[in-house]
Amino acid sequence: MVMIPEMPAVGRGFIEELEVFINDEYAWTEPVPATERRVALVSSAAVSRRGEKPFSWKARDHRVIHKNDRDLVMTHVAVEYDRTGWQQDINTILPLDRLEEMADEGEIGSVAEEHYAFMGAGDPMGMDKSAHAVAERMREDNVNTVFLLPV
Amino acid sequence: MSGLARYFEAEGFATVLVGFVREHIEQVKPARALWLNFPMGRPLGKPNDPEYQKKIIRAAFELFDRSKGPVLEDFPDVIPVKDGRMGYAIPPDYVLTMDDVGDMDALVAAVQAEIGALQPAYEAAVAARGRTTVGASGMEFDDLVPFVAEFVRGGRPESPRQGVTPIPMLKLVTEDIQAYYYEARTHRDSVDDFELLGDWFWLETKAGLLMMWLEAVALETEDKVLRALVDYSLLTPRFWSEGPLPGTSASGW
Repeated sequence: MVMIPEMPAVGRGFIEELEVFINDEYAWTEPVPATERRVALVSSAAVSRRGEKPFSWKARDHRVIHKNDRDLVMTHVAVEYDRTGWQQDINTILPLDRLEEMADEGEIGSVAEEHYAFMGAGDPMGMDKSAHAVAERMREDNVNTVFLLPV
Repeated sequence: MSGLARYFEAEGFATVLVGFVREHIEQVKPARALWLNFPMGRPLGKPNDPEYQKKIIRAAFELFDRSKGPVLEDFPDVIPVKDGRMGYAIPPDYVLTMDDVGDMDALVAAVQAEIGALQPAYEAAVAARGRTTVGASGMEFDDLVPFVAEFVRGGRPESPRQGVTPIPMLKLVTEDIQAYYYEARTHRDSVDDFELLGDWFWLETKAGLLMMWLEAVALETEDKVLRALVDYSLLTPRFWSEGPLPGTSASGW
């Protein structure tokens, strides 16, 4: 397990100084029943469709991934985490196939048309505009459930 | 991710996240979170294991049954890591200097021969998986090794890609080369062990040696952006191998 005080300086400093743009008020949204869930994935793995502009090193923007997209590349700035898992199987970081199977089996309602990727090394304080844009797109897609995955 | 989760929750979406750094989740308090004692880079645990991946998703989605939050629960499984680090790390005493940089033409030829030998395995991997992650740089594959070599020689080739400056392009190129090797090897030998794969690439292959020569150049460069590749551990996997390289600050974050 990774403990912040035991992390190497290069990562410890980054995480300790992280601030987020959320306010102090605690948010809670009542979930819908499982069979009504329309699920979107939000990943911090900085993946994008081949040919799209790579993420910059401290990117605050996002990329949109269609549920059928599988030809993705990763332009995350960090190299401290494993990439061989995702190289073998996209579902290791972005479980699009697993969600489709769960929808087919009736465990969830449906899979969103669009999913979203951010740069995990980006400064969260500057991500509010991008997060707002993603929220708008998810509303248009009738998403009610968001599953967030780091790398 | 925890901050984004809170934002989306406030926007009216029910959220759940999985995460690796428990203390960070505790600090930010997203509505629902499942902590994973896994290596970083594998939030669904195991590639090509659909049932295990769904086990994690189901455990995360079970948190939607909790009546109030913030909810932070631990996924019961542990995927062990070596020496407390969360990813591969080059042995800390393996550091090359400019004195170690030798015949560049000979090394380029050796890397290209290595790439050629791996080509059947790489093509088989792409055919079997129906995808490849090679190509983040957008450059032609045959141009990748010469592009890196030019930096090692002290040159500064222009980035062929609009909107991507040379050093970020160099980083993407090195990652494309690594992806080619790892995709070929994982498929050819049916191995899924990033410690084994890391030792193979960084300590045994000629491509790994090319990257180590590049690191030696970056350690002595006066180019601040190239230097940043080693200051921030962005080129070679040294993040978990106890601190900065000799002569680097590693404090820029």
